[in-house]
Amino acid sequence: MTAPVLAVDDLSVEYPTRRGPARAVREVSFTVSRGETLAIIGESGSGKTTLAVALIGLSRAAHVTSGRILYTAADGSTEDVRTMEPDELRRWRWRECAMVFQAALNSFNPVLTIWDQFLDTARAHGMRDARQVRDRARELLDLVHLDAGRVLRAYPHELSGGMRQRVCIAVALLLRPQLVIFDEPTTALDILTQRAIIDLLRDLRAKLGFATIFISHDLSLAAELADRVLTMYAGRAVERASVSDLFYRPRHPYSVGLLRAVPRVSGALGSVASIPGSPPDLVRLPHGCTYHPRCPLVIDACKREEPALIPVDTPEHDARCIRWKAVAELVGTERRAVAEKLA
Amino acid sequence: MTLLALERATRRFGTGAAAITAVDDVSLAVDRGEALCIVGESGCGKTTTGKMLAGLLRPSAGRLLFEGQDVWGGPRELFARFRRSVQLVHQDPYASLNPTRTVLQTLETPILRHRTRDRRVARATALELLEMVGLTPAPDMAAKYPHQLSGGQRQRVAIARALTVEPRAIVADEAVSMVDVSIRISLLDLLHGLATEFGVATVLITHDLAVARYFGREGRVAVMYLGRVVELAATEALVEDPAHPYTAALVGAVPEADPEITRGKTRVKLRSAEAPSLSALPSGCSFHPRCPLMEPGLCDVQVPELLPLPGTRDVACHVAVRERTPAAELLGAR
Repeated sequence: MTAPVLAVDDLSVEYPTRRGPARAVREVSFTVSRGETLAIIGESGSGKTTLAVALIGLSRAAHVTSGRILYTAADGSTEDVRTMEPDELRRWRWRECAMVFQAALNSFNPVLTIWDQFLDTARAHGMRDARQVRDRARELLDLVHLDAGRVLRAYPHELSGGMRQRVCIAVALLLRPQLVIFDEPTTALDILTQRAIIDLLRDLRAKLGFATIFISHDLSLAAELADRVLTMYAGRAVERASVSDLFYRPRHPYSVGLLRAVPRVSGALGSVASIPGSPPDLVRLPHGCTYHPRCPLVIDACKREEPALIPVDTPEHDARCIRWKAVAELVGTERRAVAEKLA
Repeated sequence: MTLLALERATRRFGTGAAAITAVDDVSLAVDRGEALCIVGESGCGKTTTGKMLAGLLRPSAGRLLFEGQDVWGGPRELFARFRRSVQLVHQDPYASLNPTRTVLQTLETPILRHRTRDRRVARATALELLEMVGLTPAPDMAAKYPHQLSGGQRQRVAIARALTVEPRAIVADEAVSMVDVSIRISLLDLLHGLATEFGVATVLITHDLAVARYFGREGRVAVMYLGRVVELAATEALVEDPAHPYTAALVGAVPEADPEITRGKTRVKLRSAEAPSLSALPSGCSFHPRCPLMEPGLCDVQVPELLPLPGTRDVACHVAVRERTPAAELLGAR
């Protein structure tokens, strides 16, 4: 078996605050294989964006306190992103791993045309030949279904939200990265535009074969595109599963809570409900399992010790919950939406 | 009984060549205790429609009726009564609450202005409202400032504030889109309960079809496109068998939190991906440049009226009305 393109091992990230360190990411581990798509889901404040920013070494206020981020290049050589020299890290970003941020307007310099943004990015990464950059930009804009002639001359504000998101995707692919991280790529877009972006991402992934990490609070994006899903809560990975296991056979009560919190348009509405309470204070985390104050299945043991990630059902599925069998009894194994099964 | 209604309401912004018509000839009525949803994409006029319903924008043409009376053409007393009776809850609970006032101060002021002069009574009423919107223990919550509350809690304060004047109707514009997914349902339940338990008519404006389906599950949904209502139907009929081709496209396109359903959806293939601009609206039916059912000579010439189809629905589509069949069936998207 070839090495995964990314292997994250026990990664922890903290923010200093006046009250002490806020532990935004705690000992998170996962792998992404070549061409695979991983979705990281959770509420705001669960640590997903902090994690993504740490992966590409862009943390500013936050400190990565431990762990390894092992990246394996196409030639098979493996390196820890955390120990790269600043120059090397700069080359690695975009050339090997690109990131597309939410709210595409902020990703652009407002006084540069789209062509200048392409050129800027290309020059920063050593592509000196403007003609070559232009050819590549045209090819990529074509790939994301934009009219290159018109778009290259435009300023960011002249494009619609959906078009800007397409340009962001095109710029991300400029140097043929092996891994692309998307942070909320469809948030704040209209339904038909969301659909177009999702279809585009699926299509690009198939054509170009890059691996993908999606960071999103939007479960439907994970349902659309992910091969595997990682649920985060209070900085921890609390469940890791294949997309169908996570959606139809979740074993962590928080995953169940998230799934029940999102109503559907098609199919039965089922028993939809919010998760009671709010996420914990990351400076003063609750004792034991951090989810216990909100968990409907809590028992005394949950308050004493923080549970480890333990395998459930299959070797590819694990959950950080001592009550996972009780969850399994509730939601069963049928391939139906959780809200429907709990109705 | 109809509580609040827009009658052929149009709203234009700007003048001369720069003028745009944000809402064009919209008629919508809300009954006492009804939960109505208005859905649509950005720029469809849903917020302008909500502001007209709440009396914050005066229609350029057409009327706003409250208990059958013309709000803008009637006496001052009627307008004052209407103002108290219809409240708006905004999208952004971070911007809609005064950061220098405690929750109690925020709630007390309108109570002292409109309901009582007795501070003790006002305070008790404020605490009751906090209980009602699920902010407990109420005395603790009352002492807090907005920055000490989460987004969801702030939105509950905003709802409690709307309730201080005992309104008959609430217009909630994207009231849950800025709070975390995990708690949206509880806020929708709170708003829904106001309609069903206390008879407060509630109009929820949202871009999220799933939110509309959940909130309007016993009621109706109006779908807007480029300033017009294109479909008005009982919610389940609307999502199961959309009558307008635009609604069918939305229902087919919306990503769902269920891998099998969402990956196996029947899509409606539109003829164009880009929505026209409000400043250069297409002739005839404004959906015709994108519509797969478009018939030249009809759809690009004549503006379709909102007309009834069999079942509890109205649709503004020449083809669906002529065939007496929902567009979803004509498109084989069912």
